[in-house]
Amino acid sequence: MQKIRNFTRDWFASGEPWIWLNAAAVGISISAVVGILGLIAVKGFAHFWPSQVMLIEYQDEYGQAQQVFGELVELDTIPVQQFIESGGKEEWVDPNSDIMNRWLIKTGNRKISPPDFRWLFENQIHSKQPQTGVVVLERIEWGNAYGIPNSLTINQRPQDPAQNPTQTIRGEGLYTVLLERVARANALRSEVDALESGVLNGINYQLERLRLERRGLLARGDDNSPRLTEIELLQNELRADYEVSEAQLRALYEELDQDLLNLTTASGEVLAVPVADILHTWSPNDMSRLEKTGHYFAAIWRFLTEDPREANTEGGIFPAIFGTILMVLLMSLLVTPFGVIAAVYLREYARQGVFVRVIRIAVNNLAGVPSIVYGVFGLGFFVYFLGGNIDRLFYSEALPSPTFGTPGLVWASLTLALLTVPVVIVSTEEGLTRIPRSLREGSLALGATKAETLFKVILPMASPAILTGIILAVARAAGEVAPLMLVGVVKLAPTLPLDGNFPFLHLDRKFMHLGFHIYDVGFQSPNVEAARPLVYATALLLVIIIVTLNLTAITLRSRLEQKYRGVES
Amino acid sequence: MSEVSEDNQAAGNEEKVLESSITVDNLSLYYGDKQALSNISMSIAKKQVTAFIGPSGCGKSTLLRCFNRMNDLIDDVHITGSIEFDNIDIHDERVDVAELRRKIGMVFQRPNPFPKSIYENVAYGLRIQGEDSKAVLDERVEWALQSAALWDEVKDRLRDSALGLSGGQQQRLVIARAVAIKPSVLLLDEPASALDPISTLKIEELIHQLKDDYTIAIVTHNMQQAARVSDLTAFLYLGELVEFNETDTIFRNPSERRTEDYITGRYG
Repeated sequence: MQKIRNFTRDWFASGEPWIWLNAAAVGISISAVVGILGLIAVKGFAHFWPSQVMLIEYQDEYGQAQQVFGELVELDTIPVQQFIESGGKEEWVDPNSDIMNRWLIKTGNRKISPPDFRWLFENQIHSKQPQTGVVVLERIEWGNAYGIPNSLTINQRPQDPAQNPTQTIRGEGLYTVLLERVARANALRSEVDALESGVLNGINYQLERLRLERRGLLARGDDNSPRLTEIELLQNELRADYEVSEAQLRALYEELDQDLLNLTTASGEVLAVPVADILHTWSPNDMSRLEKTGHYFAAIWRFLTEDPREANTEGGIFPAIFGTILMVLLMSLLVTPFGVIAAVYLREYARQGVFVRVIRIAVNNLAGVPSIVYGVFGLGFFVYFLGGNIDRLFYSEALPSPTFGTPGLVWASLTLALLTVPVVIVSTEEGLTRIPRSLREGSLALGATKAETLFKVILPMASPAILTGIILAVARAAGEVAPLMLVGVVKLAPTLPLDGNFPFLHLDRKFMHLGFHIYDVGFQSPNVEAARPLVYATALLLVIIIVTLNLTAITLRSRLEQKYRGVES
Repeated sequence: MSEVSEDNQAAGNEEKVLESSITVDNLSLYYGDKQALSNISMSIAKKQVTAFIGPSGCGKSTLLRCFNRMNDLIDDVHITGSIEFDNIDIHDERVDVAELRRKIGMVFQRPNPFPKSIYENVAYGLRIQGEDSKAVLDERVEWALQSAALWDEVKDRLRDSALGLSGGQQQRLVIARAVAIKPSVLLLDEPASALDPISTLKIEELIHQLKDDYTIAIVTHNMQQAARVSDLTAFLYLGELVEFNETDTIFRNPSERRTEDYITGRYG
C-alpha cells in the first residue's frame, strides 16, 4: 500500500501527468479544427457532385400512388413517437422498429409541383431506381428541372428561315442538339452580359456624371457656361450610343429566344422550358465517373466565379469573394500606417509616464470593445458625419441622394481599420521594444538623427512584428460581420466596387462579403434546403481566404525574420 | 600649449607638448539625484591614445559618453561644467549633435553591427550624409575596411550579412564603420572586453595603427591593455578623476595612493 502511494506521488512529481494533460489539450484542439474543416468541406462540396436522379414511386398522405424524379439528398431518422404525434399515418410505421427513416429528396420542378424539396418516409416509398434518359436542367429562375426531354423546337422565329429553318427534334439526337443549343444560348448570354454590364453600364455611368455636372453648374448659377452646351452635346451623343447598343441588345435577346424544350416529368406532365432559361444541362444517370468528375469541378468553378441568383440560393459567390478580399486589403492599407505611426510615437517619442500608460491601457481596451459597437460608431461618425460633410462639400450636385453619406466600401474598411488598430499598435510596440538599445546607439553615434535611425534601422527590424500585427488584424477583420452590416455590406450588390469606369475603384459603393453572405443565405433565405450546402461551401471558402491571406503574410514575415536573426540581445 | 609639427611627433624623441582636442572643465554629472561624475577637469590630447581605467561603476564609460553627448539619450541626466571640442562648447545650443557625433565616433563594448550587409554597414554613415555615388562609397568602404584591418578577410563577401562575422570581426567592422565617416576622435568603450585573446590582440594592433590619424579615448578595465596601448592614462575612482598622467608614470610611479592600490590589485 505504502509502495503504491509512493509510486503515485512520484508519478505526479515527475511531471508526467502534466505532459499528458498538455498533449491531450493539443490533441483535442487539433481534432476540433480538423473536424470542423472536414465537416464543412464534406457538407459544402458534396453539393456539387452530379448525383443520380431516381424515379421514386411512393404513396402520398391520401393513399394515392405518386411518381417523382429526384436526387436523394440525405437520410434522417426520427422516433416513431414523434411521427405519430405529428399526425403521421400509422400504416407506414414498422411495428418492429421504434425509429423511422426518412429521405430528403430534391425534386426540383418548383414551378409546377412545389416545393422543390420533400421528405419521404422509407416505408412510404415503394421503389426508387435510377432512370436513364433523365436530364437535369439548371435554370436561371425556378431552380432545377428534372424530366425526360420530349421534343425540342429550334429556330422558332428565325430571321432568315432559309438558313435556319424551324425544326422539331425528337428521340435519339435530341440530347446532343440540346447541349449544342444550350452552349449557343450561353455564348449569346455572355454577349448580352458584356453589352449590359460593360457598354450600357459605362454609358449610364457617364450620363449620370454629366447630369450631376450640369446640376452642379446650374446650382452655382453658371447658366450661360459654354460647358452646358458641351454637356448637352455629349449627352446626346451618349444617348445615341445607348440606342445603338440597346438595339443590339434587343437583337441578341431575339436570337436567344429561339428554342423551346418540352420536358416530361415523372408524373407525366409536360413542362415547356425556353432554352434561353437553361444555364446548364446534364444527364447524371448516363454519365461516366470521369464525366461526373469533370462536371463536379466545372460546378465548383462556376460557384467561385459567377454571380448569385435566386436570392443568393443559387449561382456563385464571386462578388462576395471579391468584396471580402478588396475590403480586407483596403483595411490593411489603412490600418498599417495608422497603427505603426501611433506605436512609434508611443514607444519612441512620447515621454514615458502616466499619460502614455493611460493611452496604452485605453488602446488595449479598445481591442475588447464588441465589434457591433464599432459598427454603430462607424455609421454615426464615418457615414453620417464624415460622409455627409464630404457630400455637402464635394458632391452637393447629387444631393439629396447621398454619394459618400451612405454605407460603402471605404467606411467599412475604415471601421474595420479602427477595430483592428489596437492589435497593430500592440504588436508593433512589442517589436520596437525588442530592438536592442545598442543598435540605436550605434546608429546615433554615426551621426544619424533619431528619425534617420528610425527609418533605416529600427523600422526595418520591427517589420516582422508589424507583419504579425497585420496578420492578426486581417484574421479578425475578414471574419467580422456585425459592424459591416451597418457600414456597407449588402445582400446583393448590383456592381463590383472595382470596374472599368473611371476612377475604377469606387469607394462609395456597397459591396458583398462572405461572412454576411453566410448569414444571409443561412438565415434569411426563402429556400432553406437549397441554401444549406451553400452555407457550408461559403464558410469553407471564407476560411480558405483567411488562411491564404495569413499564409502570405506569415511567409513574408519568416523571410524577414531570417534576415534579422541573431541580433536579439 | 603650442603647435607641434608633424615631424616632431613622428620622431617622438623630444619633449611632447600636446595639443588638446577635447577639454573638460569642472564636469559633474548626475543621474537624477545620484552623482556619477564630480568636478572632472582634463584634456584629451590630439593624436594620442588616452586610456580611462578604474573599477566598475567608477564613471569611466559615463565620462566617455559625455564626449559625444550619448548621455542625451538617457532621461534624467543633468550635467554641469563644460566640455569643449575644438574650442567649442559641445552643449552650446548651436551645436548640431549629429554633426558632433560625426566628428567624434564611438565604438561600444559589444559589437553592434546593423542587420545589413558588410558593405552597407560601413557605408551607413556616408549614406546618412547623403552620399549616393557608388564610386565614392566603394572607395571609402574599401579604405575603411583596410584601416580596420578587415578588408582581406571580407573582401569577397561584402554583400553577405554582417551578422555572419565572428565577434572579433564584427568589432573591427564596427570600427571600420566609425572610421568610414572620417571622424577626428574615436571613443572606444571597452572595445575588447567581449572578445577572445586573439581578437583582442588584433584590436590593440589596430589602435596602434589608428593613433597616427585619430585622437583615441579608450575605456578599459584591463590594466595591461591600458599599459600596452595608451600614451596617457586617467584613473577614475567613484566618479572622481584621481590621477591623470602619462601612462608610464601612472604605472611605474603613481603619485596617488589610491592609484597605486588599484594598479597593484589591492582593490577593483
